Amino acid sequence: MWRDALLVAGKDLRIELRSRVALWQVLPVAVLSLVLYAFALGPVRQTLASAAPGLFWLAVLFSTVLATQRSFAIEAGEGTRDGLRVSGIDPAGVFLGKAAAVAAELAVLQVVLWGAMTLLFGVHVRVVWLALVASFLATIGLATAGTLYGALSAGLRVRETLLPLLVLPVLAPVLLAASRAWSGALTGSVSSGLSWLRVLGPFAVVYLVIGIVLYGPLLETA
Amino acid sequence: MNVGTEAPSLPSRPRWLRVVGVAAVLSTAATVWLGLWVTPPDKVQGNLVRLVYLHPPIAWVALYLAFGLAALSSLLYLWRRTRSLFWDRLAAASVEVGVVFNALTLATGMLWGRPTWGVWWTWDARLTSTALLLVLFLGYLALRRVPAEPEVRARRCAVAALIAFVDVPIVHFSVIWWQTLHQGATVLNANLSPTIHGSMAWTLLLGFIALTLVFVWMVTVRYRIEVLADRTDAEHLEVSLAERWAEGDLDGVPSNGANGGNGANGGNGAGGVLRPPTRVGP
Amino acid sequence: MSYVDAGYAVGLSVLFLYAIGLVIRRRSLERAVDLSLPPSDSAERTAETGGASGP
Repeated sequence: MWRDALLVAGKDLRIELRSRVALWQVLPVAVLSLVLYAFALGPVRQTLASAAPGLFWLAVLFSTVLATQRSFAIEAGEGTRDGLRVSGIDPAGVFLGKAAAVAAELAVLQVVLWGAMTLLFGVHVRVVWLALVASFLATIGLATAGTLYGALSAGLRVRETLLPLLVLPVLAPVLLAASRAWSGALTGSVSSGLSWLRVLGPFAVVYLVIGIVLYGPLLETA
Repeated sequence: MNVGTEAPSLPSRPRWLRVVGVAAVLSTAATVWLGLWVTPPDKVQGNLVRLVYLHPPIAWVALYLAFGLAALSSLLYLWRRTRSLFWDRLAAASVEVGVVFNALTLATGMLWGRPTWGVWWTWDARLTSTALLLVLFLGYLALRRVPAEPEVRARRCAVAALIAFVDVPIVHFSVIWWQTLHQGATVLNANLSPTIHGSMAWTLLLGFIALTLVFVWMVTVRYRIEVLADRTDAEHLEVSLAERWAEGDLDGVPSNGANGGNGANGGNGAGGVLRPPTRVGP
Repeated sequence: MSYVDAGYAVGLSVLFLYAIGLVIRRRSLERAVDLSLPPSDSAERTAETGGASGP
């Protein structure tokens, strides 16, 4: 399963490196959204600073939807998915690989957004390890749930509108917990941040496990 | 053209359904009568306690009965050994009824909350997770309406239902894990000693029974609707296909046939070769 | 109207309306299926439902 996962992850990432869709489309939209949030909320520094963690994770959330849509769009061509299935690759491996690729893209995205956030909202991360752990766990949750739903809605003509409706409520708890954890990291209140890590952890595990278990049945003779 | 030669003839409605329906109506009426008139007002809450005879039973039906059944059925559908469209249809019926009850949970809760807490809504853990649950299963219903072959749709919906169900334990434990405005469990609390007594306790119990009966009746009827709907969809499709074949149009040519007048099979994405639907399930 | 009355009214009426909706949907679907069945099956069905017609 792990070997297959690496294979699939490598394939997806190589496609991304060559086509640079995430780089030129998803990333700019994410940064743009941060700018738009500032427009919407007004220039008062205090407002932006306190809203910053939530806005950061909102941007990451929407980017996850885009990234997973992209992840499945690259296989929409005639027979690609069938080819994957027939090749004997473990479906759980496919799931882990695709999720890992999405997670990698999200990680890069977060680094850039972190910089943009520091610049645009004037906030500093005080407890770096807390922010990093929260990011790690949240990214796992986002990528796994996103990939699972991407597979669920793949091939549906209404995918563009349906995927967000389906996956955003599922990602909402991750948004909540990650924002609160980062809020702790920005203000320095470690204990509150830690308690939200205790929410992020189980979500990451649960979505990961569900994805591994259900991805195969989901794709049977899709 | 042959319609219905492979499928079993339509089963008649179960005889017990009428009994359950009558019992549901009677017990609900009794609960209302007891709740609104017979029982005394509470020492602390006054007359607001009367909503307690409705709100928790409605919530119980929504979360545990309806969504629980939906999750269980989805699991049974996905597991190969018990795979049958019966479970898929039961899950769909259960989810729809569950969504209605979930919405009612929020509504009755808000009507209780406004005079008690002074606000219509607050973002505490229980209310938030319950609202999230509603949205999650509304997504299920939206997914269900996307045209697809029964087995494909069933698989997708089953996965969606199982993931949505993850929120149910969160709702349940939210009052323990977090500081919430919403109070803790009245009956199923940690000590298993209920904090409600006398005629009020009996009325509450009756409320649970009444709404459970209502649920059973509703799911059964909704299940039947699901079976009938699948049946008529398939028949419309067969009629349209037969007409097309008669015209000599279909031999593996996509797009012209696939996007014709019939709605039922329009949604299969890449527009591959059309083939007649397979009859599966009860 | 008190909050309690409103709560009962909303709860009961929504349940009632939904139930009626279900019955209507079921009836119209049964009629649709009935119409498409060949005549002998249809006669069988009316005999069956004559005994067991529920709410």
